Amino acid sequence: MKKILQLTLGIITSVGGFLEIGSVTTSVQAGAQFGYKLLWPIFFGTICLIFLIEMSGRLAAVSRHTIVDAMRERFGFPFFFVVLVGIAIVAFMVLVAELGGIGFALQILTGIGFPWWALPVSFIVWLLMWKGSFSLIENGASLLGLITISFVVAAIKLHPDWSGVASGLLPTMPQSDKARYGFLTVSILGATISPYLMYFYSSGAIEEKWDRSYIVMNRIIAGFGMFFGGFLAMAVLIAAALVFQPKGIQVDTFPQAALVMVTALPKWGFYLFALSMLFACFGAALEFSLAIAYFFAQGFGWNWSEDLEPSKDSRFAFVYTVIILLAAIPLMLGVDPVKVTMISMALTSATLPLAIVPFLFLMNDPIYLGKYRNGWLSNSIVSIVIVISFVLALISIPLQLIGG
Amino acid sequence: MAAKLLAVVLLVSALACKPPSASEQMDSIISWIGTAGMVGEAWLRHTTPDKYTAHTLELAHNSLIDINSGLFKSLPAGIDSAALDSALTRSSAHIGLMQTLVEQKASPDFRTMLDSLYSDEKVVKQFADSVEAKDK
Amino acid sequence: MDLVRDVLDKKLIDREDCQMGRVSGLLMHVGENSQPRITHVLIGGDTLWMRVHPAFARLSSKLRRAWGPKRNEAVKIPWSRVVTVGKDVKLDVEAKETGALDWEIWVARNIIERIPGGGSEEEE
Repeated sequence: MKKILQLTLGIITSVGGFLEIGSVTTSVQAGAQFGYKLLWPIFFGTICLIFLIEMSGRLAAVSRHTIVDAMRERFGFPFFFVVLVGIAIVAFMVLVAELGGIGFALQILTGIGFPWWALPVSFIVWLLMWKGSFSLIENGASLLGLITISFVVAAIKLHPDWSGVASGLLPTMPQSDKARYGFLTVSILGATISPYLMYFYSSGAIEEKWDRSYIVMNRIIAGFGMFFGGFLAMAVLIAAALVFQPKGIQVDTFPQAALVMVTALPKWGFYLFALSMLFACFGAALEFSLAIAYFFAQGFGWNWSEDLEPSKDSRFAFVYTVIILLAAIPLMLGVDPVKVTMISMALTSATLPLAIVPFLFLMNDPIYLGKYRNGWLSNSIVSIVIVISFVLALISIPLQLIGG
Repeated sequence: MAAKLLAVVLLVSALACKPPSASEQMDSIISWIGTAGMVGEAWLRHTTPDKYTAHTLELAHNSLIDINSGLFKSLPAGIDSAALDSALTRSSAHIGLMQTLVEQKASPDFRTMLDSLYSDEKVVKQFADSVEAKDK
Repeated sequence: MDLVRDVLDKKLIDREDCQMGRVSGLLMHVGENSQPRITHVLIGGDTLWMRVHPAFARLSSKLRRAWGPKRNEAVKIPWSRVVTVGKDVKLDVEAKETGALDWEIWVARNIIERIPGGGSEEEE
């Protein structure tokens, strides 16, 4: 019974971690400018993420070690330090963006500018981590994140041309704005194939005390959960394509994006968008704060657990306290979270090889996984992701400059 | 090797610093007029809050002024710049008035202004098509 | 046993199954007429940062002199206290007595416990 409950809650956890300001921003921009043509990177990224998340959970369940534990142990401290610096900088930017997303949602609801919300929002995120348990954070944020299903309802109510949607699942080049198309492709892949979700998921498996009996459940959670999150992101793109593209509206700002559901759901669409962003970004802010703190604690061998009192894992608690406080500062100074999001997604793409290449080695290590090592299919998928990650790493910054 | 890398960085930076074309600027103008129209309709249906609507209209108004200031430097020959300037000034003024009417909660006058904006939009779109054809 | 693969950077667990950090380095005794042998496991200190770059070790040393528990050297655990070497390294010691948790305790007492709701690291 407990495992079945975790199935439901594990799936909706993926929603909170999957649909956040980065995914929503890029999906709306992509749909507004290119119609259905950018469904394929969401679809492709989701397939890759399903495999990566399943592997993350399998590693934790079998070896009782997280990805970060195994990376430090297998590749040594100097390599870990390089990855730590890269991941910490980008994850910090994403955290700023997520806190900003919460601020933006509150801004459009109340009219009070997002810089004023920076400190209160950061405080609430910190307080939940300080006093809450892992279950409370995971399940509470996920249940609230279910409101994002409204995007699917909106997309269906707009009566999309389903054959057009299907053809959008295959890559096709647009006739104009190729640089912008390339930039959005890279951004969507960066938003979708998020290594932070892998770190959070493997840490969560340890927090939930998974063992080998969870291997099958892990596959189900990874598969259905990530697919559901990807499905939501595709629904956002479809809705944006039907609402903004016919009117020639390019969505460059968050207030514009807030109109995505007002046509399909006239009475509640605006408020559903605001609440969706509020709860999804809240969940994402909690998960990213934890992911950064987990990275430091696991890499350096400190005590860590969201279920422990802060004094019992003091350095872990210190890290998330400091990063949440620091993340509020750019927002208080009025830095645009949407711009931070776009830059952070390009940088995520640029640093993806650092996360994925070691992962291929770990998933084939008999010391950690024994007979549960990767088969040919999983290795093929990871190898494809590695090739893509190197291509993205090379082109993401130039595309950010030219097409962003 | 370092020289090659520097050359690549300079080339990419040069491409990035390239100002938007007249066609791209006209697309942005259409986008903001469309945004103003969309948020206006939503407000008249009472589905968006006053503050959000006023703020979005202000964004649209300010964006139009910003784009307008740079558009005429890159306008291709053969476009009636005086007529275009007039259409854009009218659009911008209508959006500014719409913002004021939201703050005053004057719905009937807002409807009139919105209909005027739709007329402006048709004229601006015709100019946008001409600019796009001449830019190619 | 491959020292780099099997020991270095592994998690250290004490006799009560508490985590006490990771192996930062190993101390070896190289005698004139004897085989080199491991004498101690090192935790923390400059050893870890020296593996990245000496500049980081100098910076780490400066920061430790200015802030935190006044321990300038790595914690040394005699190799004789190593019980098993597997995915983790199990030791026959109590973490708190070795000094491996000095930083954890210092951060708890000087920062975390001063914030309401932080609890106390001494409570069971």
